[in-house]
Amino acid sequence: MAKVLDELYYTEDHEWLRVDGNVGFVGITDFAQGHLGDIAYIELPDAGSRFAAGEVFGVVESIKTASDLLMPVSGTVAEKNDSAEQSPEKVNADAYDSWLIKIELEDMGELDKLLRADAYTELTKE
Amino acid sequence: MENLKKTVLYDEHVRLGGKMVDFGGYNMPVNYSDGIVSEHLAARRSAGLFDISHMGRFVVYGPQAAEFLQHVLTNNVNALDVGESQYTLVPTETGGALDDAYLYRFFEDNYLLVVNAANAEKDIAYLSDVIGGFDARLEDRSEEIGMISIQGPESKGILLSLADSPILTEPLRNALNVVMLNGVEVWVAKTGYTGEAIGYELFMNAEDTPPMWRELVERGAKPVGLGARDTLRLEAGLPLYGHELGMDADGKEIPVYAIPMAKFAVSFAETKGDFVGRAALSRQHEAFERIFTRHFDDISDLPRMVKPFAMLGKGIPRAGCRITRNGDDIGFVTSGSMVPYYKTAGAGLATEFTDEVDRRFIGLALVSSDLLPDDRIEIDIRGRAEGGVIVEWHLRSDAPPYSRAIIYGKDKDVEEVDISADYKSKALNLIREGISNHLWRQTECINLIPSEQSHSRASSLLSILDPSFRYAEHKKMKSFYDFDVFYYHGTKFIHRVEQLLSEEMKKYFGCGEAEIRATSGQMANTAVFSALMDFKNRADRKTEAARLGYVLNNHIIRGGHLSAQPMGALHDYIAVDPLTEKPALVNFPVCADNPYKVDIEETAKLIEQYRPELIILGKSMVLHKEPVSEVRRIVDELDVETVIMYDMAHVLGLTGKYFQEPFAEGAEIVTGSTHKTFFGTQRGVIASNYKEGETKYDLWEAIENRVFPGSVSNHHLGTLVGLLMATYEMNCFKDEYQKNVIENAKSFAKALADAGLDVAGDPAISYTETHQVIVRVGYSAGAEIAEKLEENNIIVNYQATPDEEGFTASGALRLGVSEMTRFGFGKDEFGQAAKLIADLLLRGKDIAAEVAALRSGFTDMKYCFNDDEAVHEIDRLADVLA
Repeated sequence: MAKVLDELYYTEDHEWLRVDGNVGFVGITDFAQGHLGDIAYIELPDAGSRFAAGEVFGVVESIKTASDLLMPVSGTVAEKNDSAEQSPEKVNADAYDSWLIKIELEDMGELDKLLRADAYTELTKE
Repeated sequence: MENLKKTVLYDEHVRLGGKMVDFGGYNMPVNYSDGIVSEHLAARRSAGLFDISHMGRFVVYGPQAAEFLQHVLTNNVNALDVGESQYTLVPTETGGALDDAYLYRFFEDNYLLVVNAANAEKDIAYLSDVIGGFDARLEDRSEEIGMISIQGPESKGILLSLADSPILTEPLRNALNVVMLNGVEVWVAKTGYTGEAIGYELFMNAEDTPPMWRELVERGAKPVGLGARDTLRLEAGLPLYGHELGMDADGKEIPVYAIPMAKFAVSFAETKGDFVGRAALSRQHEAFERIFTRHFDDISDLPRMVKPFAMLGKGIPRAGCRITRNGDDIGFVTSGSMVPYYKTAGAGLATEFTDEVDRRFIGLALVSSDLLPDDRIEIDIRGRAEGGVIVEWHLRSDAPPYSRAIIYGKDKDVEEVDISADYKSKALNLIREGISNHLWRQTECINLIPSEQSHSRASSLLSILDPSFRYAEHKKMKSFYDFDVFYYHGTKFIHRVEQLLSEEMKKYFGCGEAEIRATSGQMANTAVFSALMDFKNRADRKTEAARLGYVLNNHIIRGGHLSAQPMGALHDYIAVDPLTEKPALVNFPVCADNPYKVDIEETAKLIEQYRPELIILGKSMVLHKEPVSEVRRIVDELDVETVIMYDMAHVLGLTGKYFQEPFAEGAEIVTGSTHKTFFGTQRGVIASNYKEGETKYDLWEAIENRVFPGSVSNHHLGTLVGLLMATYEMNCFKDEYQKNVIENAKSFAKALADAGLDVAGDPAISYTETHQVIVRVGYSAGAEIAEKLEENNIIVNYQATPDEEGFTASGALRLGVSEMTRFGFGKDEFGQAAKLIADLLLRGKDIAAEVAALRSGFTDMKYCFNDDEAVHEIDRLADVLA
């Protein structure tokens, strides 16, 4: 059973978002890492890039498959996690501990469109 | 998923947490709970276990089974003996692949063809159609036979722990055997799809397969899913149908010669006749030869080939990614992935795997045939041109038991050497180091290398006398009734030495002819093979000379020496058998219960079947007398026109009543090196009993001719003088020396066994009849243990036993007693040495000081002239040279 944390926001595409004021951290869920299997490669945008909600901001690849990373909310990248890019197996080890990008949120109202833990648990029920 | 077929191991996969996917219509695990990376690494480091029961298994039999297979497959079925298998392809008429496959010949009367799961239905429809034209039958046995693959360095040990015999298969790739494993009959093949140096595919009844799987998991084999199966085969550069074979990304058929294996898997042997696709494949082959020799002007039949490449830029190259060179489209990726590997530390044989895992991004690409290793390419990954480089390979399996990742850009480990211009200090240093090495080897070390011998003082000093820098070419001339005519002057002394040496050698062997100018045993053999070819073709000098075939010898894995192998001195002289397309060679069969002993009954059958032109007896790993008289009897009874040659290299110094008298037993030619059991110096010798007037005397004259001028111009005159002294010593002292060597070997072997070591051979004869003793120290542990012994002043060499894959997998030490016998070691001293070796090997005790102490009492050479009068003359010799 994949882990789901109560305090996070989730997308239907299996990204998570942790919000702290107008700063957010984006990663992929435990369910996603489990389905991908051994993550082989992660490509992340540089600080300063801006993406609208739903836009592709990067890619995560396992040995068998590649998956686009979608922005949960609109925002600008403040920092990317070099350590996750260099050692993608860390995302397999703990998907919620290894954020991928830190962003500045533009519109807190967009959070309402994201899933909370209950709904995401329901979505990923196997 | 419900409509998918299940293999007999489906429940095992589910139980092990397998992530199940559709593969070729089967519900198969892509990986188990630990994931692809750890499964990949397990196969490389220990042992991986694969369910390959989804593959198609067809049995072909009937009077024309071979003819049918020759017609529908690309490889040469005639090259397969019972107990052998081969990679092959099912070609299309246009030179592409309908499938690739493995053909196994476990039994005399049928063949087993294993094909890809996804193609099995298509294959059987096609093959069933074609077989109608042949008196042969094809049965789909995929359901009744289960198939498991176990791959990796520990796979052999795991299987042996379940086997009722000490041997699984011959230690050669593609070898087959039928073995009882875990109480059931298993057809074992030394094959696999991972590039592992050690790996087996197992066939058994379907109902026996799950228990076997569970037992193998229990014994440490890690289940590996299709994901790691793919990264393993990709790293090994092996093709996957649908990627490197079949149709390409542009919808065109991939020519078979695009894959590197085509070189071995396509045959144009005459016996194949007009097989499917022959004309197209033949055109590809011609293009391949041009490409191979780097002539790229006319390669339209093979414009693109599959080549391995490594990523230099970012991202994972996926199948279908376009590839450019300087912007021009040159092909596309056929397979690509991230592949993990263990980092290593150390260099050469001391290379060790660390526990640190790294990852690399590599692939295979169907690209322009003119690309060469190190050529730069660009790979289109999501619209970005990322850099890559063509490499020769991603993995090497030539140092078993491990296959090793070859990382692009890793430099060769170079040992530092002083290349400064300080020549005087380097010169003095050379002298100092030479002295210290000499003293260490001569006063502190117990040398047990069976192919070595120290020279007497007289022999050593004589070897550096004046003739050592001279020339003395000479040749018998018919005009002068075979009188030797010399080309240089100042040679009267060396002429005399050569005459005396020749006579002493004849006396030693008890024969009429001896040629002493070859400077090594290997050269002696080369000269004999060259002369045999010359003799064979003596009636026709106008057409290309025919090579030798068949030749009967000892296989290198059963102790045969390099100098009697196609990879050694036979290389340029042995024919290729057009039927099998392999060197026209047969090997002495060995006894089932003693791999060190020739099986005479089976040898007789082989001699009758092949009627070899040349029979080469002699070994470098030798515990028994060679069956010279038995072979002579067989040859005479069957009236085979042949030459019986005995390469005595290792046992030359044992020639005589305690061991063997080769000419009395029926050998025609004896060759050897003069410095193993013989007393030195390092040279070669050829002897024969052919008499003037008989036909084969022409062969003897050809031998003399192939030594000079065929092999040498200067024949190292210094060591020739030393060898004459050594031969005097041998002829004078051989009775005592030979008796002691053989007694010492037997008592050393017994002492080693009594001390708890695993001594090979027959205990009933005290393990050995020669100067050698073989001690088994554990699979692939030989090199490390030999190194440890050297650190403790005992010098040995590690040796692969007949069931090991090569010298890096050696699990034995080869010990010889001749040199230490010559320094006076007897039963007591070899007993002490055996105890010390056991102390080190079994108890990890440091024995360096005790070894040096034991040796220090035995530094005076025996079996040489050492009375006062002799010492006085030798001292004068030393003074002259001082």
